[in-house]
Amino acid sequence: MEKILLRNVDAPDSNTIGAYRSRGGYRALEKVVSEMSPERLIDEIKASGLRGRGGAGFPTGMKWGFVPKDSPKPKYVVCNADESEPGTFKDRLLIEKDPHAIIEGTIIAAYAIQSHTAFIYIRGELSYGAKVLERAIEEAAAAGFLGKNIFGSGYDIDVILHRGAGAYICGEETGLLSSLEGGKGWPKVKPPFPATHGLFGCPTVVNNVETLASLPWIIEQGAARYAAIGTEKSKGTKLFSVSGHINKPGVYEVDMGYPFKKFLEEDCGGVPNGKKLKGVIPGGASMPVLRPDELDGITMDYESFQAAGTLLGSGGVIVMDESTCMVQAAWNISRFFAHESCGQCSPCREGCHWMEKIFRRVEHGEGKAGDLDLILSVSGNIMGNTICPFGDAAAMPAAAFIRKYRAEFDEHIARKKCTVSPI
Amino acid sequence: MDPVKIIIDGKEIATTKGKTVIQAAAEAGIAIPYYCYHPKLTIAGNCRMCLVEIEKMPKLQISCNTLVTEGMAVKTESPKVLEARRAVMEFLLINHPLDCPICDQAGECWLQDYYMEHDLSASRFDERKEHERKREIFGPYVVFDGERCIKCTRCVRFLQEVTHTDELTVVNRGDDSTIALFPGEILDNPLSVNVVDICPVGALTDRDFRFKVRVWYLRKTPSICPGCSTGCNISLESYQNRIARFKPRVNEAVNSHWLCDEGRYSFHALTEGERLTTPMIRQEGGLVTTDWDTALEAAIAGLGANGPLLGVLSGRNTNEEAFLFARLMKKISSQTALEVFYRERELTEVEKVLKSPDRSPNFRGARDMGVHANGGFDSLAGRLVAGNFRGAYIVGEDLIDLPGDGEKIQTALEKLSFLVVQDTRLTPTAKLAHVVLPATHFGEKEGTYTNRRGRVQKLNAAIVPPLGALQDWEIFSRLLARAGEKAAYATAAEIFLALAREIPAYGGLNYGKIGDQGFQLGNETQQP
Amino acid sequence: MNEVKFSEESLKRFEAIVSRYPKKEAAMLPVLYLAQEEFGYLSPEAIEYVAAKMEVPAARVYGVVTFYTMLNMKPIGRHHIQVCRTLPCALAGAERIAAAIKVKLRIGAGETTADGKFTLSEVECLASCGTAPMMQVNDDYYENLSAQSVGEILDRLK
Repeated sequence: MEKILLRNVDAPDSNTIGAYRSRGGYRALEKVVSEMSPERLIDEIKASGLRGRGGAGFPTGMKWGFVPKDSPKPKYVVCNADESEPGTFKDRLLIEKDPHAIIEGTIIAAYAIQSHTAFIYIRGELSYGAKVLERAIEEAAAAGFLGKNIFGSGYDIDVILHRGAGAYICGEETGLLSSLEGGKGWPKVKPPFPATHGLFGCPTVVNNVETLASLPWIIEQGAARYAAIGTEKSKGTKLFSVSGHINKPGVYEVDMGYPFKKFLEEDCGGVPNGKKLKGVIPGGASMPVLRPDELDGITMDYESFQAAGTLLGSGGVIVMDESTCMVQAAWNISRFFAHESCGQCSPCREGCHWMEKIFRRVEHGEGKAGDLDLILSVSGNIMGNTICPFGDAAAMPAAAFIRKYRAEFDEHIARKKCTVSPI
Repeated sequence: MDPVKIIIDGKEIATTKGKTVIQAAAEAGIAIPYYCYHPKLTIAGNCRMCLVEIEKMPKLQISCNTLVTEGMAVKTESPKVLEARRAVMEFLLINHPLDCPICDQAGECWLQDYYMEHDLSASRFDERKEHERKREIFGPYVVFDGERCIKCTRCVRFLQEVTHTDELTVVNRGDDSTIALFPGEILDNPLSVNVVDICPVGALTDRDFRFKVRVWYLRKTPSICPGCSTGCNISLESYQNRIARFKPRVNEAVNSHWLCDEGRYSFHALTEGERLTTPMIRQEGGLVTTDWDTALEAAIAGLGANGPLLGVLSGRNTNEEAFLFARLMKKISSQTALEVFYRERELTEVEKVLKSPDRSPNFRGARDMGVHANGGFDSLAGRLVAGNFRGAYIVGEDLIDLPGDGEKIQTALEKLSFLVVQDTRLTPTAKLAHVVLPATHFGEKEGTYTNRRGRVQKLNAAIVPPLGALQDWEIFSRLLARAGEKAAYATAAEIFLALAREIPAYGGLNYGKIGDQGFQLGNETQQP
Repeated sequence: MNEVKFSEESLKRFEAIVSRYPKKEAAMLPVLYLAQEEFGYLSPEAIEYVAAKMEVPAARVYGVVTFYTMLNMKPIGRHHIQVCRTLPCALAGAERIAAAIKVKLRIGAGETTADGKFTLSEVECLASCGTAPMMQVNDDYYENLSAQSVGEILDRLK
């Protein structure tokens, strides 16, 4: 499998500019600002097929293309380093071990839309990562890779590191922008969209850490090489974070289209202690869980997961073995979403907490016959009716757990206790 | 304004570019339910009640934030839309307290109304409801109930965008979200009670009105606020012949959707206290009650014999009353100085959003009718104090109560040879009179006020005056008859038609043309 | 009388922070972090002070502070122990770790030890799922915990 995103992380002192440059770093940026027009750059990234790696999978080149070129307003690029999706820790690895790839990618994206101010919004809890990035930014500035007239091209770019303060919703692009503007992390009603009315009402592109870190390699090796990897609709490589009941947890770089079952059993070493697999969430806690009998034929790409009734999302793979109480698992995730709901719109604000309360009651042995169908109904009432996708993210796993493990939930209610050993 | 055609529920609607679906629908008479939307505030989009189905769009869209495009096809009553509305209602109700029996909003509560219209399903919520602060005093006039609040943020946005005072914010996250003041601050800006008007539920309620009367018992009369010469349009709401509260009426040319706190509560000072219910006349021992004939005869005789005359009309008297007063006083004596009460004060920035710097709602109308002297009211007050007059007819104002000048005016009034005072209560000024005539207050009047900007607006009587008191116009009419005037009027409407014939600026007007939104005169700006 | 204000040093840092941003209000979070660092926690007085320096209404800053978990309106212990409780850590035994800490320090979640040394919180996913169970103490992550190792870590903290 191709090593694009993880090509630097194992090198000693990988997060220093010296190590990065010795492995070819910042050559892509030089090429971009010296030889490419923004239009050509956007075309190249469109041709690569790169899709947003934060969870939505929107084609990156197309997103850049939505920014009005002739707008008199300043334009902004924001690197979304607010990684908070449960089960996901791939951005953290890049931040701590290959910050320069992120910086270089951020500047490339800024050049594409002719932005001169880029922000890296990093979740507040990643204090160490923030220190690494801050130092890397200073190194890059000292080397002349950011600041005024980089590479003598006439292009100016400032990169500002901005720390969040503990809110998952700030990973949603407009929630991030509200937070960056100095307010609560409240997502904004759309339209208008960030491409035309983003940060401070100006054209803005928000890209995930992994998306941006992919750019230097694509520029150096060419879009065609990137597009040669993966499947028809899912090009290139993707980082998957693997955790839970698995022998070899960690971050894996996978060619899109790789067989999922093989990945779990071979590359990740399978379920430890001879236990049987009971369920796996493929894309972070927002995404519907898959039962073992559903895994055949699934490949690790956007289309295949979607066809299987779930989504690739952030690629946060959470593995659960037979000792897992699915009722507890479902409650745990519903509690996460209840805690993180920003509270603006009525279906999410009230619905997420309602679902958590019912799950909690069921888990504690106080479930009633109608509870499961009630959760399914509430979940359906939240889906599609909210200001931002958080509502969907909360609704999907709630419904999926019940649908996929109905018998276990029914028994848990009937017996008023967990019939599997608790987590 | 570019025309745009859209289709709502199969009906073709003509609208214009830049309008949202909810606006276009409202203008076409199609009501889409909403909570957080307000025509005068920015779009929040958080209640989700206005979701509609739009052809070619996979998800339902909030109609308050969807701009119309040519040929857009909207469904406001499809099964998906109705289901979404029931869903939103359910979400808003699960933590809502069962306060209806003790909540002032009952009867005008949007949760109640929309439940009846769009929901009617039984509760499925079987958990412990979230609890929040109740009965929290936000300010002198506003009390907050956090459990009733649906977090629509209308109050927060009003205070950010209209008064720019930013007292309220949303604190916390998720279903701990609630509305709060900064610790130690209070909500007391001059327009604060508007947040009560715009709160769709009983989360923000009026302390003055609290527990007074159920709203379905209120008689609602469209009228004009008597507070100042802005002339905010109000709904005067009364019960058992007493005024219970003012609510603003929408008039984009005057007050938009708003009302100031001082005007809103002005009815207390103007209508409370013991009423005069019989004319009085001064005899040896002091003032004694008498009948109307005696009083009116004494008034006419006394004024006629004691020129030069001063006539002061209240800024709260109508155009119809002012018209007759001017005619009466000029008929009685050619040496008459008339003015409408007018005093100015400083306004704060927030007050300037709505208020005028006076407390004379109809000063302009009165002057249009001829109740005007060179130099204005202050000059006239000076002449009174200087002893220029022997007789005076003072209507509806307690001049002794004037800050600063009160004592000097009292001395001057005591020196008058003849004083007629017409008012609703036995004020200190009235106690000095030779004849006291019981009259009506603004809530009992039918007539018109002309606001500072020249808009003629209609007052309607909401209260029946006490037995024994007469309408001011009726008193002037009877005095005119005794002064030899032939014309007689049976109603305020007739007087208005008469003044419309005589005062060129009011030519051609009648109550029909004034309607409930008023009529703007061609505008020569008048000096106060 | 509001006695809370930045030191000379912090004022310089405040100016430096604000000058980085195209719009002053965007510097809200870093300025709040600065204030929290200097004053220990964000009391209403501190919030009012920050609001004045940022030229925004106090109520607005109040709303911001209450929204984020890392901004504290009350003082917390010298070491803020934040144990992750979200699914991957739960699968790895986070509850046992939390229980071990509660037993050792004799406090529950959301509480502070009497000597003001430790505050314990149960928090959501910290992006460390591959090395679960784990916790964050102030700025530092402690990963691959066991009931044993967590005790040792707490003993080493001053």
